[in-house]
Amino acid sequence: MSASLEKGVRVLKEVIDAPIASYFSSCVHCGLCAEACLFYTETGNPKYTPIHKLEPMRRLYEQEYTVLGRLKKLVGLSKAVTDAELAEWQELVYNSCTLCGRCSVVCPVGNDIVYMVRKFREGMSASGNAPEGIKGAANRTITIGSPMGVKLPAVKAQMRHVEEDYGLPIPMDVEGAEYLVMLSSMEIMNFPEYLGAIAKIMHQAGKTWTLCSTAFEATNAGMQIGNSDLARVIVSRIVEAAEKLKVKTVISPECGHAYTALRWEGANLMGRSFGFKVRHIIEVLGEFQEQGLLKTEGFETDRLTFHDPCQLARRGGVIKQQRNLMNMVSKNFVEMPDAGFMNWCCGGGGGASAIEEGEELRLEAFKKKKSQLDTVKPDRLVTACANCRIVLEEGLEHYQMNLPVVGLTEMIADHIPNPIVDKPEGN
Amino acid sequence: MATTNDKEFRAKLETLSVSQQRQVAALFVQRVFAFSNDVRIKAALDMAMRADISDAELAVVSQAANTARVESYAQCGRDSDWNTQAGLFVAKAAVSCVSPVTDGKNLAWDAAMQARVARTCEAASGNISDYKEAEAQYAILDDFLNK
Repeated sequence: MSASLEKGVRVLKEVIDAPIASYFSSCVHCGLCAEACLFYTETGNPKYTPIHKLEPMRRLYEQEYTVLGRLKKLVGLSKAVTDAELAEWQELVYNSCTLCGRCSVVCPVGNDIVYMVRKFREGMSASGNAPEGIKGAANRTITIGSPMGVKLPAVKAQMRHVEEDYGLPIPMDVEGAEYLVMLSSMEIMNFPEYLGAIAKIMHQAGKTWTLCSTAFEATNAGMQIGNSDLARVIVSRIVEAAEKLKVKTVISPECGHAYTALRWEGANLMGRSFGFKVRHIIEVLGEFQEQGLLKTEGFETDRLTFHDPCQLARRGGVIKQQRNLMNMVSKNFVEMPDAGFMNWCCGGGGGASAIEEGEELRLEAFKKKKSQLDTVKPDRLVTACANCRIVLEEGLEHYQMNLPVVGLTEMIADHIPNPIVDKPEGN
Repeated sequence: MATTNDKEFRAKLETLSVSQQRQVAALFVQRVFAFSNDVRIKAALDMAMRADISDAELAVVSQAANTARVESYAQCGRDSDWNTQAGLFVAKAAVSCVSPVTDGKNLAWDAAMQARVARTCEAASGNISDYKEAEAQYAILDDFLNK
């Protein structure tokens, strides 16, 4: 057994906890999880059945923690996990799983399969079997603080542009602000207008907010690769910043796993509760809308539909807010089949879009989204995740569907009248 | 009177016809085209400069420019390269130049803003510490209007 395999197996043994043991022992092999996975439904290949993606971990569980499994191992009736097997499983655990959680919610015995995949990734990562693309992102997160290598001067350059474009200040390191706004590298690099939209919305709502120079990045590469220690480091940077600046609420950006890591797993990762709230930007906009702090003008009249990011809707339970916001600015909002809680993934979540060798499979899986869209034939597609947005655009381009994709936060901001303000200092 | 700020800049752009907006937008994008050098973008800019462009021609170059734009996105988790990233915003600006549907938006303003982000990317890469893209755009617009 190689040193890396030994390490991986040791980590896998450690992560097999009571829930995982009960999940493996209660699986009834019904196959319902297969029909819930877009990688299976669009390829028809049974290897993409979610529970099958966990087979090496299941065998290890059986061999180590069940009487029958130990006996089988003793008499040589059970195959040991090998380096080659884990290498082969990389495609199943990373490329063809976006951690969308659809399999978990259809399981009739309540097995949280995505939780198991996450734990399996811990072993895969420890044994060196994570894809190179995700490894690179994780390394940059450790050394630079951002999975895409975005540094503070780059953020400041984008801030300066947005200030000029929108005529509103972009505050940084303001102690006592109500909101600490987090960004994802994807927004900084591809959609700087998101920051302008935030400035406009906060200005209208009369809320104080700030970015933080020591923690502007929320993307959690630790969650994606399967490394809880790294996930904890990333969350702790944000927690330290929020506590230093004494903010009341941290706003997670339009990035699925950033939200899950901070909102739902952050306190457990840190081993303590936070003295501030964590909200997704869509939840904050929903609160502003309820409180009458969002005053939009006019309506979109073309046919719009909304793609629910998995981590926001299914894993996070945020479903009503985006619909209320859509209806606030649209006269012709239509729902795709399976929209909301059971929405189908874009195909690129959970780090999958960072895996170059997974592109062909991703585009194959995109046929599910295409069929959803073909049913309602919208003029534009709205979403609330920067990664979804790019994966959707690539899929639409590949299938030659002429369908613009827009971000919900920016769309709301577009309907807010331009504020009359003095130019920010330095411009 | 020379344009000195964005308020005047935007007001002057609002007075232009859609065809003129495309032309002046293409001039803004040409200043930053070196970040892209994509032939599809060049074709879009050349076409936007023509006052007699047909709807069919517009649709073709718009589609090609949009493909270039989508291909230019930085993927989640990939290492950043701000010089390459500038190419995305050049492509976004070019798409604005040849967008078949205006929906009341000012194409030239949109293109100008995206061209400025392209220059911002150059700043983010550390290659320049100070940039005056807005001022250069004011001068281009004034020249265009004075022709």
